[in-house]
Amino acid sequence: MGQTLYKAEITETPILRFAGNNFEPLPSGGLYWHAQQTLLVADLHFEKMASFARRGQMLPPYDTGLTLARLEADLRRTGAKRMVSLGDSFHRADASSLLTNSDRMRLDTLTDLVECIWLSGNHDPAPHSIGGTCLPDLMLDGLILTHEPKRGATGLMAGHLHPAAHIHIEGRSTRRPCFVHDNRLLILPAYGASTGSINILSPAFVGLFHWPALEVTMLGKDRTYPVSTKRLVRG
Amino acid sequence: MLPAVPVVYGASFHPSLPLEGRAWEGVASCTTDRPPPSFPPLKGEGSEGAEPLWPIGKLGPPVTTLPRVITDWFARKGWAPRQHQLDVLESWQAGASALLIAPTGAGKTLAGFLPTLVDLADGKFEGLHTLYISPLKALAVDVQRNLNAPIFEMGLKISAETRTGDTPASKRARQRAKPPHILLTTPEQLALLISHPHAELFFGSLKRIVLDELHALVTSKRGELLSLALARIAKLAPGLQITALSATVARPDLMRDWIAQPVPGRETHLLTSSGGAPPVLEILETQQRLPWAGHSANYAHQDLYEVIKQHKTTLLFVNTRSQAEMLFQGLWAVNDDMLPIALHHGSLSVEQRRKVENAMVSGQLKAVVCTSTLDLGIDWGDVDLVVQVGAPKGSSRMLQRIGRANHRLDEPSKAMLVPSNRFEVLECEAALEAVAENHQDSEDPVNGGYDVLAQHVLGMACAAPFAADDLYDEVRLAWPYRDLPRKQFDRVVELVATGGYALQAYERYARLKLTEKGLWRVANPQVAQQYRLNIGTIIEEPMVRVRLIRTRGLKKGVQSPVGAGGRVLGEMEEYFFGTLLVGDTFIFGGEIVAFEGLKDNEAYVSRAQSANPKIPSYMGGRFPLSTYLADRVRLILDSPDDWGKLPDQVSDWLRLQRDVSVLPKRDSLLVETFPRGTLNYMVCYPFEGRLAHQTLGMLLTRRLERSRARPLGFVASEYTLAIWGLGDLSGLIRTARLSLDELFSEDMLGDDLEDWLDESALMKRTFRNCAIISGLIERRHPGKEKTGRQITMSSDLIYDVLYQHEPDHILIQATRRDAARGLLDIERLGDMLRRIRSHIVHKPLQRVSPLAVPILLDIGREPIFGEGRESAMSDAADELMREALGSDPI
Repeated sequence: MGQTLYKAEITETPILRFAGNNFEPLPSGGLYWHAQQTLLVADLHFEKMASFARRGQMLPPYDTGLTLARLEADLRRTGAKRMVSLGDSFHRADASSLLTNSDRMRLDTLTDLVECIWLSGNHDPAPHSIGGTCLPDLMLDGLILTHEPKRGATGLMAGHLHPAAHIHIEGRSTRRPCFVHDNRLLILPAYGASTGSINILSPAFVGLFHWPALEVTMLGKDRTYPVSTKRLVRG
Repeated sequence: MLPAVPVVYGASFHPSLPLEGRAWEGVASCTTDRPPPSFPPLKGEGSEGAEPLWPIGKLGPPVTTLPRVITDWFARKGWAPRQHQLDVLESWQAGASALLIAPTGAGKTLAGFLPTLVDLADGKFEGLHTLYISPLKALAVDVQRNLNAPIFEMGLKISAETRTGDTPASKRARQRAKPPHILLTTPEQLALLISHPHAELFFGSLKRIVLDELHALVTSKRGELLSLALARIAKLAPGLQITALSATVARPDLMRDWIAQPVPGRETHLLTSSGGAPPVLEILETQQRLPWAGHSANYAHQDLYEVIKQHKTTLLFVNTRSQAEMLFQGLWAVNDDMLPIALHHGSLSVEQRRKVENAMVSGQLKAVVCTSTLDLGIDWGDVDLVVQVGAPKGSSRMLQRIGRANHRLDEPSKAMLVPSNRFEVLECEAALEAVAENHQDSEDPVNGGYDVLAQHVLGMACAAPFAADDLYDEVRLAWPYRDLPRKQFDRVVELVATGGYALQAYERYARLKLTEKGLWRVANPQVAQQYRLNIGTIIEEPMVRVRLIRTRGLKKGVQSPVGAGGRVLGEMEEYFFGTLLVGDTFIFGGEIVAFEGLKDNEAYVSRAQSANPKIPSYMGGRFPLSTYLADRVRLILDSPDDWGKLPDQVSDWLRLQRDVSVLPKRDSLLVETFPRGTLNYMVCYPFEGRLAHQTLGMLLTRRLERSRARPLGFVASEYTLAIWGLGDLSGLIRTARLSLDELFSEDMLGDDLEDWLDESALMKRTFRNCAIISGLIERRHPGKEKTGRQITMSSDLIYDVLYQHEPDHILIQATRRDAARGLLDIERLGDMLRRIRSHIVHKPLQRVSPLAVPILLDIGREPIFGEGRESAMSDAADELMREALGSDPI
């Protein structure tokens, strides 16, 4: 068992091919589009933990800072000129006004540095005051970027569902957020530090994908792993 | 012949049975036709030559210490109080608190209440006089019933009422306005009572607290919560005297300190009842082949059935719910005589359990298979045999379980141990010796956690605004918090107020606010409401109700089953259903059922037939082997001269080990390495319990990775740890590229532990409990119930975020403390590493040794820990690559 384990240590940069385009899936959950020099992220949910505090649950006020740190690192590493956030960037419509001063300053620096496009999501439907452009959705080089996935679309990239894969192989099992697509619809994992995830085998995903064409790429610690779909389990 | 159909007993019994016939614990039932042998009969009645009831003028207390109405009652019954019952009374009359250590069946309850009856006999007292705290709601209810009988018979004007989660709101309100003389309740209800603004009024008249089964509380967070409540009540009721009742424990002195702490200056007596007859304990003798591994004890079912037949009523204890299910199935498979054998464990519905208990009490059952759910609680009547199936784990635990048989002090309790594998034979032998020596290895009372303290601090703010100085002084009157540093107390107050973060982001949402007078008060009434909904320290796994529906036969594509609304069988951990597909069969409550679907908070199942149903494995319920028994097991292994007392198959096994390898010595650690198939194995024998071994396995694999030994996985049992990998372990050690002394060096509890903690699922589970208890996350919110799954996910995320940013946060500290003692058992691992330092014996072998066989058989039965989660993904990625290249064998 597991004879091949150490071969896989050779780090390679997996390429995710979707609807005729090449992307680099990042272990953070971001998807880098070389041809467009664009970093795609979904479901940042800034200020999610802070939004619990007003109900009396004092969750750690550090999630926004962690998410920002991830973004900064990804932008630095990829050299992206543009960032598109596919909705639910803020956990609440008014969350942008609740940012701590230091988080706000970091976010301002970020929006000065690269072109930022904020698509609206169900958590943040209205435009907000953060730098960059707020749009309902976006067409980019023939692909549609939006928040919620739809059935029957082609070339649609979305977030919203927070996909995760659970695999079981030779006595070991791992559950991690993942990219999932069938070459017509691609769903990005949730990027925010405070976001949970839903198994792609759960009812929320029923009917969205053409199963035989399904490709799943899981987020590892320092790399991503395109995995065999026959290892997927529930839970 | 066809196997008998197992039925869970209950349905055919009357739900409520007359209780008048029940014995008041320690005082024989008033309806029996013979005086109980444990009480000397009155002179002139019963047998001649018996000791006189009141040795007036000689030893013992003068009659005048008991009011006439009580002595008359005793006389009418033909009973006499026992010495330790009078001792408790005497302590009370001397103005002291008292800890009474007495075995089950010694009449502890009467001992606890006698001073109250004496004090209230004149009928003049107004208000709450005595508070009785029990770890079990059912026990409080039972004690109340058994208390009301003599109160009634004595014609006393004493009111005794219970207050539990089931008490209706109107009755609670009435109890607050006009308290009964005696209130019987639980630690959680007590916490609620003292958080009430009128607590001062309510407890002002209190004279006595009776703490029942205290040994079961002081080792847990419930005990921490209780200790804090006692500290508050001692302040509200200055004349307070505490009487605690406990089974025999290793350190009664610590428990006495525990009850003395809240009332400084009051004397506290340590009272011990004269011991009963020593128990008669034996190991089941069998002609069957003893299994190498596993926990099912299948080999013993027929033997056990014969034993059950020979006794009146047998209690069969097991360690886990899955073992209970398996044993129950096994006994029914051989139950040719259709004996009434029942099942009792924590997943069965409350009604089901009550029915079994009632049937038990009225003598309708021949045997009950049970877990620790029956460790405590009411007297089970005529149990004449206790059987422990599987590892006994500890001497005190065993003694307490044995005490469930034969509640008469002067007759020996009879018990039998049934090992489920060969290593357990050694453990049973060790337990046999320990019990014969009456050796106690119970855990000591624990120091207090910050999570429980946070809950208490919020509760005290709900009662009234407090000054930090005052509350700090008060909480140190709780024994577990006697050494609490002021700095930590202040951090806990900050935790309650704003989360206690270094980054102070939540001032505007603060739950506690500092008034101009320097008092902490709750910010708004919702805070108090939230507190009341989150009270307590028992965190349940997210559970779903298991409901039996009529048939399978769902139409394809129908998501929710028709025929919903059947009988609820019980509850089961939600995660188990995550592993099931519709149609999968499993055993629950002794029945084979098929999974039909999950809807809202219910799992639908139907009756099914299957040759191979799953048996759910439940989290928890696995106590580690006590350090004391572990040491005795090592001693047995190290003493070949004593092997004669072991069954031949076991001593042969040990002799074979001695011939082909070496035996583990008492004070060293044996490490064997050998190749097997394409892999290399390292097997060591620390005997420190599964939890410590798991942690050791996690840490060793990290180190072996760095040594290029290329480990792949490990499996841990109570006795042994086996790690396997690709590297030639024997060769690495021989050529000094791998040093076992360095590998097992204590410094693994430094950086390696830190690295692992940051991703450990066990740490996250522990954190979740601390976060809920401290009130950081809620278990319930008014009008909006979160599902358990949501809480689990978010608490993992909270841990990740917090651990990365503020690893020194007070809740991370609390989590570390709990993990060190609990799921990770780092404390014990540390002790072991110190003990074996430079005492490692390495034995390279060509093949598996006899002693290593059980643990290798556990691979596949026990969870295996891969060397990292990444490897599962990289294997699945390689597989995908092979699929793509068309080289994957299907």
